[in-house]
Amino acid sequence: MITERTFLWIAQAFYAASCVVTLRRLRAGDGGAALQRANYFVMITGFFFHTIFLYLRGQTVGRCPLTNLFETQAFIAWAAVLFFLLIGPSYRVSFLGAFTAPLVLVICLSALLLPVDVVQATPPRHSAWIEFHAAIAVVACGAFALAFVTGAMYLIQERQLKTRRLTSSFLLLPSIEQLDVIHFRLLIMGFTMLTAGMVGGMISYHIVGHWTIPKIIWASSVWLLYGGLVVARGLWTLRGRKVAVASMVFFALMLVGFWGVNLFQR
Amino acid sequence: MNLLVIGLNHRSAPVEVREQLAFAKTSLADAHTRLLAASPLHETVILSTCNRVEVYALADNVGEAARSVREFLHDHHRLTDRMDAHFYEHRDDSCVQHLLEVACGLDSMVLGETEIFGQVKDAYSVAQVAGTTGVVLNRVFQKAFSAAKHIRSTTAITRGSTSVGTVAVDLAEKIFGKLGKCVVMVIGTGQMSEATARALQSRGAGAILVCSRTNERAEALAAQLQGRAISYDQWPNEFPMVDIVISSTAAPHPIITKEKLGPLMKMRRQRPLFLIDIAVPRDMERACDELDGVYLYDIDDLQQIARENMAAREREIAACQVLIAQHVRRLADWLESNRGTVEDRYRRRVADSPVRNPASPHVS
Repeated sequence: MITERTFLWIAQAFYAASCVVTLRRLRAGDGGAALQRANYFVMITGFFFHTIFLYLRGQTVGRCPLTNLFETQAFIAWAAVLFFLLIGPSYRVSFLGAFTAPLVLVICLSALLLPVDVVQATPPRHSAWIEFHAAIAVVACGAFALAFVTGAMYLIQERQLKTRRLTSSFLLLPSIEQLDVIHFRLLIMGFTMLTAGMVGGMISYHIVGHWTIPKIIWASSVWLLYGGLVVARGLWTLRGRKVAVASMVFFALMLVGFWGVNLFQR
Repeated sequence: MNLLVIGLNHRSAPVEVREQLAFAKTSLADAHTRLLAASPLHETVILSTCNRVEVYALADNVGEAARSVREFLHDHHRLTDRMDAHFYEHRDDSCVQHLLEVACGLDSMVLGETEIFGQVKDAYSVAQVAGTTGVVLNRVFQKAFSAAKHIRSTTAITRGSTSVGTVAVDLAEKIFGKLGKCVVMVIGTGQMSEATARALQSRGAGAILVCSRTNERAEALAAQLQGRAISYDQWPNEFPMVDIVISSTAAPHPIITKEKLGPLMKMRRQRPLFLIDIAVPRDMERACDELDGVYLYDIDDLQQIARENMAAREREIAACQVLIAQHVRRLADWLESNRGTVEDRYRRRVADSPVRNPASPHVS
């Protein structure tokens, strides 16, 4: 039977296909312009089905599909693909998709396979602010997800340069300076949107008065961590490897904290 | 009717022999027409580079053709000694195979180098303009070009840099991306540091600073590289704005140490720093690369990478040969199926005219 979830599964098939294309590119050992275009096309197609899923789910729940952990994870992954599609071609970051597709697959498949798609007792729809603040915060997570991806690429490339052991991926991956700059831009984008989401959250609290302590602690910690990182990088206190490591750790902490908050609420 | 290549290269002949047989660029077109007039050939292409001189030809009787090509080379270059011992000959399929190997860089001194591809293309276009190619060599050379492109893009035969200078450039590009904004400092003058600076410059590196214990040498090198000479005691002051350092002094002890570098890195806001140490004994303390953002490569590291890249190319030879064999087979099939038409054409042409002309470039 075709349900909304079917479309998310179809999207996963395309993301998996993207991983296969990437492996072929790595084995071919060249940038493979044709394969790179093919990969972009496969990702766009996956994104299309992913969007259909979110739309249909939104229709079903009658609001922005962020009512449970399953939907939220799917939304974060969607935002990550969105950032890849926007950033990949404009900055000509080769192999960004190679690292994005596996991360998106992990986030979506864990959501699809774990029993987290349960109908939540949500309060009636009061204000668009609630949806706005949640949606923009989740899109911010998408930017942080892609920052995680560029951070991983940075660490791999930096490791090769430091240890002087150059594998076949060395010539394929972008330069560490380029990765550092893109990484910083993603952090700024994510942080700006997260801030907007927090402000929206405060406004919706005033309107609705619906809030939970764990969620506020989680959101504030994420905001402080990423805010500190953006400031440190902006002032050149931190740079390169340390920023990449911090960003990856923060993203992991954010996901773990998010699961914790949701399980606690349940 | 058969294909023939007769020639010599860096393996079969020493440079003293090769330079006697090399054709000047200016006289190459003329040499083509003279060769065709002097020998019983239908079509010909002469390839002359610093590492090889080869004559590709289509002829009815290859034995006779080979003899007359040798005579022509001997007379054209006014040689006194016979050079026969240095020549090699390949016919038909192995002639095509040889051409493909040459075009792919398999037969080059630096395995997989790509300059030869352009040289073969140039040689072919000179012959084409001179009117000494015809339906067969046109087909053979054009197919050789597309085959070489195919082989270069599907195998790793041209991949990775194989000289110290180009390896350094690759590394610089993987650290900084585009080199346009990079400031290069050369400490100590020498052939190797000059070559490395030039390699960086050829890929767009920005300003170049040169310093040496003897100011005249620094100024001379700076003038050559269109850079700026600075006095030797000045280099630590310029350091905060520098991205790439090439060092090759004769100093007995390291001149750049971790201790000195630490504060300088803070001044340059932790921007990455690429240190290239070409000196022996080394100019840079190995511990420098314990600092974040410092990437230190000495001459051994660069040579090791160049060697590994070369070894990787060597491992690709077999894959190239498989592809070459496929392309040779295809061309051989075409030659076989068109043999009748081509032979007819040339027979008629010879019968028609007392002056031999090459075939028209296209077969209908």
